[in-house]
Amino acid sequence: MWRFAGKRALAALLVLFAISVLVFLIFFATPGIDPAARIAGRNASQETLTQVRASFGFDRPIWVQYGLMMQHLFINRDLTSFVNRGSQVIPQVMQAIPVTLSLVFGAALIWVVLALIMGVAATAARGTVIDPLILVIGVIGVSLPVFWLGEVVNLVTQSRLHDTVFAWVPQLGYVPLTDGVGPWALHLLFPWLTLAVLYAGIYARVLRSEMVASMNEDYVRMARAKGIGETRVLIRHSLRTSMISIVSLFGLDFGALIGGAALLTEVVFGLQGVGKLTYDSLQNFDLPVILACVLYASFFVVLANFIVDLLYAWLDPRVRHV
Amino acid sequence: MRLHRIATVGVSLLAVGALAACSSGSSPSPSGSSGAAASSASAVPSGSASVGNDSDVRPYDPAHAGGTLTLLAKGAAGTLDPKVNYTLQFWQLYQGTYDGLTAFKHVDGEGSFTVVPDLAESIPDTTNGGKTYVFKLRQGIKFSDGADLTTDDVVSSFQRIFKVSSPTAGSFYNGIVGADACIKAPETCTLEGGVVGDKTAGTVTINLTAPDPEFLYKLSVPHAAINPKSAPTKDAGNTPIPTTGAYMFKSYDPNTALVMVRNPNFKEWSRAAQPAGYPDEIDYKFGLTVEAEVTAVENNQANWLYDPPPADRLAEIGSKYASQVHVNQLTAFWYLPLNVNLAPFDNLKARQAVNWAIDRNAIVKLYGGANLAQPVCTILPPGFPGYEANCQYTNPAGDTWQGADLEKAKQLVTESGTAGQEVTVIVADDEVNKAVGEYVQSVLNQIGYKAKVKAISGNIQFTYIQNSNNKVQISVTQWYQDYPAASDFLNVLLGCASFTPGSDSSINMSGFCDKKIQAQMDDALKTEQTSFDEANKKWAAVDKAMMEQSPMVPVMTPKLIDFISKDTGNYQFSKQFYMLVDQLWVK
Amino acid sequence: MGSLVVLIIIVLACIAAPLYESSIAHTDAFTSNVAGTITINGQTVPVLEPSTEGLGLGVNPIAPTWTAQYFLGSDNQGRDVASRILYGGRNTLIIGFASAILCCVLAGIIGIVSGFFGRGVDAVLSRGLDVLWAFPVYLLAICLSVVLISSSLTIGPVTLSSASILLPIVIIGIVYVPYVARPIRGQVMSLREREFVQAAVGAGAPDMRLLRREILPNVLPTIIVFLPLMAAINMLTEAALSFLSIGVQPPDSSWGTIVNDGVGLLYTRPWVAIAPGILLAITAVTLNLLGDGVRDALDPKARLRGAA
Repeated sequence: MWRFAGKRALAALLVLFAISVLVFLIFFATPGIDPAARIAGRNASQETLTQVRASFGFDRPIWVQYGLMMQHLFINRDLTSFVNRGSQVIPQVMQAIPVTLSLVFGAALIWVVLALIMGVAATAARGTVIDPLILVIGVIGVSLPVFWLGEVVNLVTQSRLHDTVFAWVPQLGYVPLTDGVGPWALHLLFPWLTLAVLYAGIYARVLRSEMVASMNEDYVRMARAKGIGETRVLIRHSLRTSMISIVSLFGLDFGALIGGAALLTEVVFGLQGVGKLTYDSLQNFDLPVILACVLYASFFVVLANFIVDLLYAWLDPRVRHV
Repeated sequence: MRLHRIATVGVSLLAVGALAACSSGSSPSPSGSSGAAASSASAVPSGSASVGNDSDVRPYDPAHAGGTLTLLAKGAAGTLDPKVNYTLQFWQLYQGTYDGLTAFKHVDGEGSFTVVPDLAESIPDTTNGGKTYVFKLRQGIKFSDGADLTTDDVVSSFQRIFKVSSPTAGSFYNGIVGADACIKAPETCTLEGGVVGDKTAGTVTINLTAPDPEFLYKLSVPHAAINPKSAPTKDAGNTPIPTTGAYMFKSYDPNTALVMVRNPNFKEWSRAAQPAGYPDEIDYKFGLTVEAEVTAVENNQANWLYDPPPADRLAEIGSKYASQVHVNQLTAFWYLPLNVNLAPFDNLKARQAVNWAIDRNAIVKLYGGANLAQPVCTILPPGFPGYEANCQYTNPAGDTWQGADLEKAKQLVTESGTAGQEVTVIVADDEVNKAVGEYVQSVLNQIGYKAKVKAISGNIQFTYIQNSNNKVQISVTQWYQDYPAASDFLNVLLGCASFTPGSDSSINMSGFCDKKIQAQMDDALKTEQTSFDEANKKWAAVDKAMMEQSPMVPVMTPKLIDFISKDTGNYQFSKQFYMLVDQLWVK
Repeated sequence: MGSLVVLIIIVLACIAAPLYESSIAHTDAFTSNVAGTITINGQTVPVLEPSTEGLGLGVNPIAPTWTAQYFLGSDNQGRDVASRILYGGRNTLIIGFASAILCCVLAGIIGIVSGFFGRGVDAVLSRGLDVLWAFPVYLLAICLSVVLISSSLTIGPVTLSSASILLPIVIIGIVYVPYVARPIRGQVMSLREREFVQAAVGAGAPDMRLLRREILPNVLPTIIVFLPLMAAINMLTEAALSFLSIGVQPPDSSWGTIVNDGVGLLYTRPWVAIAPGILLAITAVTLNLLGDGVRDALDPKARLRGAA
């Protein structure tokens, strides 16, 4: 088991390394994004350009630049941005994390609860029109382009109906939890709902199919045979075991979202999270920030994969030998 | 100016060289908004201290002091270091925080192009044939951290320009004695013999290698601000440097906010150079979308937004909130550089065809309508020194642009033999630029080319189109300037020296270099030393000669919208650094 | 079945775009019409109308007329939004399906090779998939689009130029490979251990025949199930990429680019963004439902991560 974990951890590190190298190479292979001219300023003299290039080390061989950047990022921890000169990268990421965590935790809570309700309801209503109806609603949720949905939500809550129904909706942006739970939740309510719509349907259908399958399992039949009520069977027995299947799915999604996969939601709602930071750094072609964000994001994606793999390996020893 | 852009774009302030001061005394009055009377406030004849009259300086009204002013912007503008930052967004704030030996007057309107003494007691006469300035420092000024201002601070500040590789180090301050060595080896920069302080007399002597009538302007921009000698010799980044002005920076985080508070050690010494401000605190918040910013100002949740309001909100703020909107003419223009070294625009007729074909009114419409921009046909904006109404590409014919002539354009394309060639228009990917790009592409198709348009991130478009290696045929870009000198347009944008093949910093995007026209420009520059009026006539001839060669398509000159909340008062617009932030009333 | 009908109607409507443009809308969907006018109820109105109220700032495109011309109004170039949506649908559908096919083919090959040969080959390919899985799609797309402006990219026999819709097809096709390749790899691995395959191995069957006879027929249904799902996901991704000006280049349109154009007009002319968004959603729903039946039978957990 430990050997397996060690091997997977090593592979994960390798993946992170490969990603950082790739990002670095792609960046420097792209014309027009040489940061020197942008740092030097409009119509800078060629001497100033050379000076800036030298002081930032852009004239060094590319592998030296890579090494220096990694050193500043991981060892000195003082890597600074190319665009917001003097602005350190690590504090920027650290500041963005609570925003993303707030968004993802809240949304996850909503979508899991919604999925549970929808999944159980659909299972209970098998054979009636309600079952497919719930599933279709779920499919619609998955099929909406999230940034479009966000913009439409903003249109309605911030503009069209802002004077009447939605007068209570605060302006866009994030308010830290330290300012009070109420304002924090209010600012995040619509981002939560928008993000939750995307996931609730999928979780509901996975849950439903697992539950339907489990209905034929021995332990459920046994429970029924004991004369336990159908609702109780559904909740206590079927749902409980079916939840396991959701957990691995949840692990992967959650890891990706914490890593910044909620980029579009954050951009549309003006939340300064990791996704927005990534987006802004991409817009600015700010390599240090891009690298930090990408490594941060990949770390969570890889970590989530790693944990899920380990869980499977723990549950099913055969996997270890594959 | 353009959106939240950092560093290169967005810098609409001084570019290289040529802040042509008029030693003849005639005023290079910049184009006034809606023909405002050109106040003939002296625009700094070199050497002779001329403060002009200060009737345009508004007296301080203590009744309005206090409160918190809230400003909004989509993004921050990078480093807070005044010697490194080169963006309009923060230069606007440096007005009330940092001081140079001299300053542009903090007033509304034309007077704002006038240079006045700031940390120096007066503007000295030059000696040594125009090469030596001796400034006497005002006594009793303290930095916000409590340290006294001394001549040592001034000397170290000039060294610091080179030590931090200030963007303009090689273009503005390279005329100081010893600057050459400093550019080559910034770490050991001393400016020996260039900037010399005399602590007992309280004077600073600056020696130049050659007379520079524009030098006082260069001393008045933030890159020449006086910082304490303890300031770091590298980019200070997000750490505020102590100030001398009315305000100081309390905290700065580029992702959330910049906070300015009153400088406890500030006592007003010249209302024209560094007036006491009104709000007790200025909070500049970052990160909202522009739509949300507009809504916040409408709802009185913030006082002002930096970013231009989005197109679909213009009609609303122009009608429902008309009294809170201020529109000011900028001395700037939008243009399409045509690469004269690449097919098809290496052909004169092909270039002229594009000038004939582009409907300026259509582009004005895409920008937000006739009240937000004005079609142009010359390189120099209307009302600008050197501007003479003249339009070679208009139908019906006239001195100013009247209309496009597609038939003529088609005919020229056919004659040039370039019909059917592929042309790619490179534009920045924000809404307005993209719209202009699509329109230009559509026109190019109509006159016989196979045109494509390519939108790339605005942050790299500006450097991308400059580099001749990228083989850009035609693009959409802007040139903003804030001081009245024809050479800043003509010589900078189309001079031989501005074209460096293969460099990302090659502002002459057309790659245009005409020996004859260059000689004309050199002549005009020389004439400026004796007579500005005469020089301007020569510049007008240069403009005309250039437009005959058609290396670019001047499109329109834009206006700037400032939208303030209903409880905000005392709006003043400096043509140099735009709205005077700290003079706003929130009470 | 109903969803198939809806899908066919949408496809047919998009195919008929030129017909709509020439005989109903009577405007060129790809040429700027900034100075144009149209006649409504006998009155001539400009397509882009400058505001006259107050300070007279801003220019508003014509609102939906709900008649033949400018049914859904115009965009900021004065072009007919309804025509552009029909034309845009073509690109969206082509990109969605072509990238889905590309993705499934690539994923099929990688998944089968990785799962069948195992060991070293599998280790290398799996790590490659891990990298792709965690790689920032947007960075790749933005950089590629910049690189491709001046020079076209040649990968084997395929040459990509920046304006070609092959670019979004390839980008989107490749980034989702891991999502399809992983389940296939797992399936092939378990097939490899099954009796009938082991029996064939014991009988000395060469690898190629094993792959062709035993593995491929079993894996193919899974791949086919993925197709409509991938097409739906890919269309949504295309829209997301258009949010960043990558993908279909102007004046060509796709539903994604029109939504993007419309976001700038959302406040005054919301239909420009809402209409293509709704169409996109409907198409995605039909595709998802279409893939449903088969998917439920095979693997209810097969699902993909959309752009959040």
